[in-house]
Amino acid sequence: MADLRVDLAGVTLRNPIVTASGTFGYGKEYSSLIPLERLGAITVKGVSPFPSAGNPTPRTAEVYGGMLNAIGLQNPGIDAFISHPDYLPFLRSVDCPVFVNIWGRTVEQYAEVASRLEQERKGIAALEINISCPNIKEGGIAFGTDLGQAAKVVSAVRAATSLPLITKLSPNVTRIGDFARCAVDAGSDMISLINTIPGMAIDIETRTFRIANRTGGLSGPGIKPVAVRMVYEARQAVKVPIIGMGGVRTAEDAIEFMMAGANAVGVGTAIFSNPHCLLDIIDGMDAWLDRHGIADVSSIIGVM
Amino acid sequence: MPDKIQVSAPILHNQRLQKDYYQLDLSAASIAKLAKPGQFVHVQLPELQHRILRRPFSIFNVDLDSGCLSIIYKIVGEGTEHLSKLAPGDVLDLLGPLGNGYTLFPKNRKGIIVAGGYGSAATYLLAKNAPAPPVVLIGGRSKDDILLQDDFKRLGCELKIATNDGSAGHHGMVTELLTQAIAKTSNPAVAACGPNAMLKAVSEIVEKNGIDAELSLDHAMCCGVGACFACVVKRKADTPNGWAYSRTCIDGPVFKASEIWWD
Repeated sequence: MADLRVDLAGVTLRNPIVTASGTFGYGKEYSSLIPLERLGAITVKGVSPFPSAGNPTPRTAEVYGGMLNAIGLQNPGIDAFISHPDYLPFLRSVDCPVFVNIWGRTVEQYAEVASRLEQERKGIAALEINISCPNIKEGGIAFGTDLGQAAKVVSAVRAATSLPLITKLSPNVTRIGDFARCAVDAGSDMISLINTIPGMAIDIETRTFRIANRTGGLSGPGIKPVAVRMVYEARQAVKVPIIGMGGVRTAEDAIEFMMAGANAVGVGTAIFSNPHCLLDIIDGMDAWLDRHGIADVSSIIGVM
Repeated sequence: MPDKIQVSAPILHNQRLQKDYYQLDLSAASIAKLAKPGQFVHVQLPELQHRILRRPFSIFNVDLDSGCLSIIYKIVGEGTEHLSKLAPGDVLDLLGPLGNGYTLFPKNRKGIIVAGGYGSAATYLLAKNAPAPPVVLIGGRSKDDILLQDDFKRLGCELKIATNDGSAGHHGMVTELLTQAIAKTSNPAVAACGPNAMLKAVSEIVEKNGIDAELSLDHAMCCGVGACFACVVKRKADTPNGWAYSRTCIDGPVFKASEIWWD
C-alpha cells in the first residue's frame, strides 16, 4: 500500500484521481455505480449564473479513438445548483473534495458565480474556472486563448472568493506555458489541462456535419500524447499544482501524466465507456507503485 | 440495493432471427432482477478499442429463473456488426437497468402497443406484465422487419401487422391500425416504441382522440446515466421558447406523448 495522497494548494486528496468536468454530472448520477468517497475529488459539470439550455442536437459523435462533443455547457444555473437536493446539498453529504467548475459569458458573470459559491462554500474544496470550453459562442475558449482576457477573468474570480482556484486551460494555443503563468500571476492557485481539442466530423453520405454545432471538442485516448506534452510544458512554466488530463484510461496513463508534471490526474471520457475504470485506475496506481518499490505517489511528480 | 449495476455478462446465445435482426441472450441475473419494462442496458463492445462508447439496447425479455437477459439488435454499423460475430462464452460489460421504463397498463384500461421495427423488443416486457393481454400493432418496411410475432401471440395478444410494401398484413402505416384500434376500444392506454416519425404520428393520433400515450425514444447515448447531456430531446416546459432539453437516458427513454416538443 503506497501513500496515494496528494496535496493541491492545501487541499488534500486521498488519491490523485479526479473526475473531469462535464463527464461525471454532479456526482449523484454515478453514486449507485461508484463509491464516491473513494475518488480523489469530484469536479462537477460547469455552472453558470443562469440556467443554460446548451447546444442543438446531435451533440456528440464517436470518432476513431475518441469522441467529439458540443454539449454547450447545459446546466441548471447557480440558484438550482446551490439549492436543489441533486446538486450541492447532495455533494455536501459525500466524503470527497468537490471542485465546482464555473463559467460565464462575461468577466462579470464569472465573478458572480464565484461570489455566490464563496457564500455557500461549505462542501466546496475549490473552484475550477473554465476558460477553455470550445463549444459556446461567448465565454469559454474566447477567454482561454487571449492572455489579456484570461488574466481579467482569473483576477475577477480571485477578487470574488478566497476559495482555492484552478484555471482550466485550452490546448488551442501555441505556447501553453504563457497561459499557465498568466493564470498563476492573476491569482490562480492551480491549473488544470487540457480541455478538449476543437475538431469536426462530416457524414459524407448525407453531406451533413455530424454535430449540429459543426465543431466539437475531441476527447478520448487519441488526445493523450498532446495532453502529456502540454502538462510537461506547463510544468516547466509554473510551480503550482497541475491537474493533468486528456485521454486517461488506465493507471499507467495516470502515472505518465504525473511523471510529466501533474500533481493529480483527471479522468473524463473513459468514464462513459467504463465507470468502474475510476477505481481500476486508483487500485492500479497503488499496485504499480508497490511493484516499483515507491512508497509515496508524490515522489513521481514531474520527474521528467 | 442499488438501482443500477455494472456487470460482466457471459453470452448464452447470439442468433440471427431474420434479415439483419439478432437476439442476444446474456447471463445477467442481477440486472434481470431489477429490470422493468421499457428500461435498457448500456453495452460495451469488447475488442473494439477505437470505438469507445457503449451502445444502448432495450431489454427485450428477462427470465428470473435462469438469470437470462435478452436484447434484440439490428446490424446498423460497425458496432452491431461486431456484436453479431460474438459467440457463447464471450463476455460483455453491461450497465443497467437504465432509464425510467413504461408505466404498467392499469387493470381498468385496455392496453394498445404500437411498435415499429425493432421497437417491438422494447415493448415485449410491457405486454408480458400487463394485467390482460394488450392489442399489439407492429409495423415495418416489409414482412422481414416484423419481429416477435410468435412471442406476442404466445402471451395471448391480439396482433395486427402493417407493412409499407404490403408484404404482410395491412398495406400502409401501423399508425392507421392505431386509429382503428382506438376507435374500437373504450378507455385505451397506448404505449409505443419505434422511429421518431412513427412516434410523432402516434402523438398526433392520441391527441386527436383526447388521450395520452407513453413513447419510448431511441437516441444515441454516451454515459447512459444522466451525466453528459448528449442524448437530450425537447420537452415542453415553462420557458420563453416553450421547451427545455431533457435527457433520454434518465428522464426517459419513456416520455408522455403530450410532453414531447416535436420540431
